[in-house]
Amino acid sequence: MNHILDVDGLTKDFIPPLSFSKLFRLDFKHRKPTRALEAISFSLEKGKMLGVLGPNGAGKTTLLKIIATLILPDKGSVVINGYRLGIDDDEIKSFIGLVSSQERSFYWRLTGRQNLEFFASMYDLENAKDRIEELLNFFEIDYQDDRFDSYSSGMKQKFVLMRGLLNDPGLLLLDEPTKSLDYTTALNLRNFIKEDLVRKKGKTVIFTTHNMDEASDFCDLFMILHKGKLYAMGTLDELRKKVNNPTATLGEIFVKLTERS
Amino acid sequence: MFKKPLAFIKKDFLIESSYKFAFLLHIFGIFAWILTFYFIDKLFGSVITPHLKPYGVNYFSYVLLGIAFFTYVGTGTGSLAARIRNEQLMGTLETLLLTPARLSMIIISMSVWNFIWASISVVAYLIFGALLFGIDFSHTNLLSAFVILILTVTSFSGLGLLAASFIMVLKRGQPVTWAVNMSFELLGGVYFPITIFPGWLQIISHLLPVTYSIRAMQLAVYKGYSLQSLSSDIMALLLFSVILMPAGLLAFKWAVRRAKMNGNLAHY
Repeated sequence: MNHILDVDGLTKDFIPPLSFSKLFRLDFKHRKPTRALEAISFSLEKGKMLGVLGPNGAGKTTLLKIIATLILPDKGSVVINGYRLGIDDDEIKSFIGLVSSQERSFYWRLTGRQNLEFFASMYDLENAKDRIEELLNFFEIDYQDDRFDSYSSGMKQKFVLMRGLLNDPGLLLLDEPTKSLDYTTALNLRNFIKEDLVRKKGKTVIFTTHNMDEASDFCDLFMILHKGKLYAMGTLDELRKKVNNPTATLGEIFVKLTERS
Repeated sequence: MFKKPLAFIKKDFLIESSYKFAFLLHIFGIFAWILTFYFIDKLFGSVITPHLKPYGVNYFSYVLLGIAFFTYVGTGTGSLAARIRNEQLMGTLETLLLTPARLSMIIISMSVWNFIWASISVVAYLIFGALLFGIDFSHTNLLSAFVILILTVTSFSGLGLLAASFIMVLKRGQPVTWAVNMSFELLGGVYFPITIFPGWLQIISHLLPVTYSIRAMQLAVYKGYSLQSLSSDIMALLLFSVILMPAGLLAFKWAVRRAKMNGNLAHY
């Protein structure tokens, strides 16, 4: 198997901040951690598109941020394209791209193009200007020289995606990227990811969403994540077999698998 | 090697120049600040003159250089923390840390513009002082002044890294920076030489790196002291740099790791 990602026993607890009452009692120990991820293990082949499905608080963003080196896990290991998390972080950062619904992560007093040029310089790209032009042309953007604070949410989201693609990542992590987009823009974005990035360029994509309908005809594989636990992972047919229902929708599969938790 | 710092400088310049009125206000603020001390000197300057004998200048000349040079000290101790806080608020800190740029490179690159901005302020102080108020800088030993400047930047940047570590972990830590800068200003000889303090307060002053920076810079500029004549102050600043810079870097790396552990890198 040509695995691009191997996750083994990934566990993450978040300890809540110290409250004033506990601080005054000098009680530093009794803080109940919140389990964000519990012993998550899975592998992903190159050129596949994985949809991570789960409601808010399921652990989707935590999983992506750990893979992106932004959160340190408590236990477990992650290997991305042969690079080990915690050891080869610089190589991992060069190999991945993270796209979130966070449009705030730009310099709003700069233009879109200036933002892309700045972030491109952090990646030491050799042909940064050409790459930026290529992306601007591809997304048919003609407002790149206007200030970022003048853009609509959809326009900003395109720049989030372009920034994530600047380094031509082998593994693209998409954290609810269509959350603030209208129907048509979201559809175009999904088509671009599926057809151009995954099918044509052979990129591997992990896409998180709490919208099961959005994922069903878009991803090759699905991961059901709920309260930090991985309930199942596989193709739609494999998941249907798991719940003994050959016509079950992803929403129904999710409910069936997680109803006892 | 210089690509990333240059990208930061370009980005910061573009942002700063988009606030044109703020720049004019800043320059006007410097002028008003100088004017205030000009009149204070007219009123009370003669009282402090005996304490200024080692520097061979009047109170106005002494305080102008003190407040001008303290811009570098304040920039070293506080500006990185302010930048980190700003990047947290804008949501760009996490994005920067997602790039393969090294943490130390990001910190250095973030700081470069702060020191360029500080230099613009210092030049404004000196030009106003020389052209409008006739202060004589002709005795300056440029080599000594440059060495003192570099050592000041390195030792106070170490403190700045410690302040930035507070921001990374506690999210708000400006009161700490403010308190440090206030005590430096008061006790470090910025507004008056420390010889006017009682003995016990002078001992405290000598524990602060700012005291050596300000004194050495005053002597290098107004008396033209050579590196050899300033060797004790230079050694003190070197010692502070050697201790504070690695301590600051270690603290900041620890703070980033802790923020990654807590998953609150992007929180503010």
